Amino acid sequence: MVEHAGGEFVREMMRWHFSPETGSPFWLKRAKNLDFDPLTDVRHFDDLGLFPNVVDELRDIGVRELIPRGYGDEHGVAVYESGGTTGQPKRVAYAAEWQRGNVEWFSERLDAHGVPRNVDWLSAVPTGPHNVGAMAVDTAMIRGGLNFSIDLDPRWVKKLLAQGRTDVADAYTDHLIEQVGHILAAQDVGVLFATPPMLERLAQHDDLVELVNRKVRAIIWGGTHLDADTRDLLRDEVFGNAKFVGGYGGTMMLGTSVERPGLGDDEPCVFDSFAPYTTFRVIDPDTGQVVPYGERGQIVVHHMSRTALLVNNIERDYATRIAPVDGGFGDAVADVAPVASFGDTKVIEGVY
Amino acid sequence: MLSLDVLGPGGPYRSRRQETIRDLFGNQVATLSLAPSLYITRAIKALRRAPALSVDARIAAFAQAGRAFATQSIAGLTPEEYQHTVSTVTGIPITVVRNATDEIARAAEQIHHTVENARPAAAVGSWRDPRAQGGAAVWTRRGEVFAVHAAGNHPAVHQGWFDALALGYRVAVRPSRREPFTPHRLITALREAGFGDEGIAFLPTDHHVADDILRHADLGMVYGGADVVGKYAGDGRILPQGPGRSKILITAETEWEPIVDTIVESISSGGGVGCVNATGVLVEGDPSPVAAAIAERLAALPSLPATDERAVLPVMPVGPARRWDGALRQRAAGTKAWLGGDGIADDLGDGSAVLRPAVHQLDSPFAEQLGMELGFPCAWVAPWDRDAGIRPLRDTLVLTAVTTDEDLIDALVAEPTIANVYVGDHPTPWMEHGLPHDGYLAEFLMRTKTIRR
Repeated sequence: MVEHAGGEFVREMMRWHFSPETGSPFWLKRAKNLDFDPLTDVRHFDDLGLFPNVVDELRDIGVRELIPRGYGDEHGVAVYESGGTTGQPKRVAYAAEWQRGNVEWFSERLDAHGVPRNVDWLSAVPTGPHNVGAMAVDTAMIRGGLNFSIDLDPRWVKKLLAQGRTDVADAYTDHLIEQVGHILAAQDVGVLFATPPMLERLAQHDDLVELVNRKVRAIIWGGTHLDADTRDLLRDEVFGNAKFVGGYGGTMMLGTSVERPGLGDDEPCVFDSFAPYTTFRVIDPDTGQVVPYGERGQIVVHHMSRTALLVNNIERDYATRIAPVDGGFGDAVADVAPVASFGDTKVIEGVY
Repeated sequence: MLSLDVLGPGGPYRSRRQETIRDLFGNQVATLSLAPSLYITRAIKALRRAPALSVDARIAAFAQAGRAFATQSIAGLTPEEYQHTVSTVTGIPITVVRNATDEIARAAEQIHHTVENARPAAAVGSWRDPRAQGGAAVWTRRGEVFAVHAAGNHPAVHQGWFDALALGYRVAVRPSRREPFTPHRLITALREAGFGDEGIAFLPTDHHVADDILRHADLGMVYGGADVVGKYAGDGRILPQGPGRSKILITAETEWEPIVDTIVESISSGGGVGCVNATGVLVEGDPSPVAAAIAERLAALPSLPATDERAVLPVMPVGPARRWDGALRQRAAGTKAWLGGDGIADDLGDGSAVLRPAVHQLDSPFAEQLGMELGFPCAWVAPWDRDAGIRPLRDTLVLTAVTTDEDLIDALVAEPTIANVYVGDHPTPWMEHGLPHDGYLAEFLMRTKTIRR
């Protein structure tokens, strides 16, 4: 892993990704269609805005094209996919060195929250093509724990919900909860890693809530949004004995950001990214300008490491812009939520 | 500014997620807490665990709550302040809101009578009844928790779920975000009068979460348009309350001139915002003179701000009013406009507009516009004859049939999609406590069970 100050780090990343010896076939080819020269024109974080958002190209590209040549044959790449919310899934290549560094950073953040080490994990998060499941396995392991995995397929659930088949989606969730229940009952689980919908569903089962409150000392949530009201209820009223730690990340971010420790219960959940590798910008979608601190805007994600260059990726999420810790790079984000739907103004017949 | 909290089994709950409610002029009037899904799930679970009050306690609580609702300060608002708030937010004329307040109070006082009327004549109310000794039908609930997606078109629609509470259900009301003031006041009064925090809940939510209320309850009722009716048509646990499409039929052998008052009242009373307001007027013979007479009378109604004592027409912010105007004109294309053809939005110059009455004449009783119902006095006058039969009269909440033809009355009463038939000179909005509005709700909530001991 490289550790450098802002501009120097950006310039080093440009040299890595755009030098014929180290860059990936994808970027070396793609650079020819850029109307700037990454090696000379991109000198600071703010210059990343020059790049086009290329994530849509990751739906069709051969993944081997994405592997930086600089790794040689020792890349240790694992392939992961997005959830496919906005169409066909996108694919990325995580080099082994990145996954290791990412997991170490995540683990340090968990230490900062007081999440216990040497306890076993129950992870009810997507595995398969999504990175979060691998992150759970690897993080539990380096912290001295075993990981019990419940697989869940978010694409199938999304498809069911899109078709209005909530009964089938419910049955699937019940199936998952049943498996979670078996592990909670039989194993000594100290950390529960789950998506907010799974936690909400668990909350409906008094017996499972009792097991969690008796055994689990930390609940790590991520993968989907958790609104502030539901977070309060889960933390204060349902799972009162566990430390709550939130993550906001994704396969396309090549990692996650983690809730800032030490904030009060009434403060919003602030996420700090794994800077300088993963950084956020919060912009006004109409002007593209960064919004002032405390204002809401759309999240732009930059990922820049030796494993990948995926910058200027506009997420569908909105957030409040917060200053980064210790004058770090980019923005921290709070109250992340999917883009708000606007009021329905069409005329509906009838009097109700 | 008012804060309307969620009223759950644990007491008032103020969420971080708040919706601002504005008056007709865009001023902020209140914030409404929106409950997240998890809150709803837990609330309904708690309602289910709570025991029902005894019958006597329920009846007494209703009477007390009804009086308090109409005459006392509740949640910091006097009745006058409450009425003014509803009028200035919804644009419903202030006198209509005031009448609705009294109507709700009366409905609460008479709730025992109402639910008793609905009980099958042979059924007893309790297994303790001596008649159960030799075997009797006992009137019992089909579930414990009843959920309502309430309507916001008129304050008095909230009487619609009284029966469930009176029959011992614990009730979860999701208010309309257009008008949460009435259910908030009513539910606060009912909780204070004896139903307590676990007997009845006020659960505002956004539309993503709304279905959770129905999913977790045993039975539910939903108000809405044709889309809502269609969505829940296959779900036996849900009772959809669809468009009223109330109508008046005048057959050839009767005189229409003496009942013009009744027709006009049917179309426009209460501001014309109700499901019981007449939408269709079918006339055997030439409908033109009837349309002309109605139009002339309705044209005389004044355009006034909703809070004016003399106001009789609903008011909306100018923007939405213009959209309604556009939608009406689009749908009315090809019909003859007797009133409202040059626009129904009358700009009051203060950011709001009065929705003026519209009267259109159709060529045929089968014209599709006959089923179009809007939230202001809006009538479609169509010719009708015996050949058309009762087909154009179907899907009607209240049908006033001005006729002497007993065979026709037989057919109308027998028609399953006509909920109420008033024969002769009676306005469609007429209602009486103890009589069914769209069947007795108890028909849906209760079942009989044989008990022998």
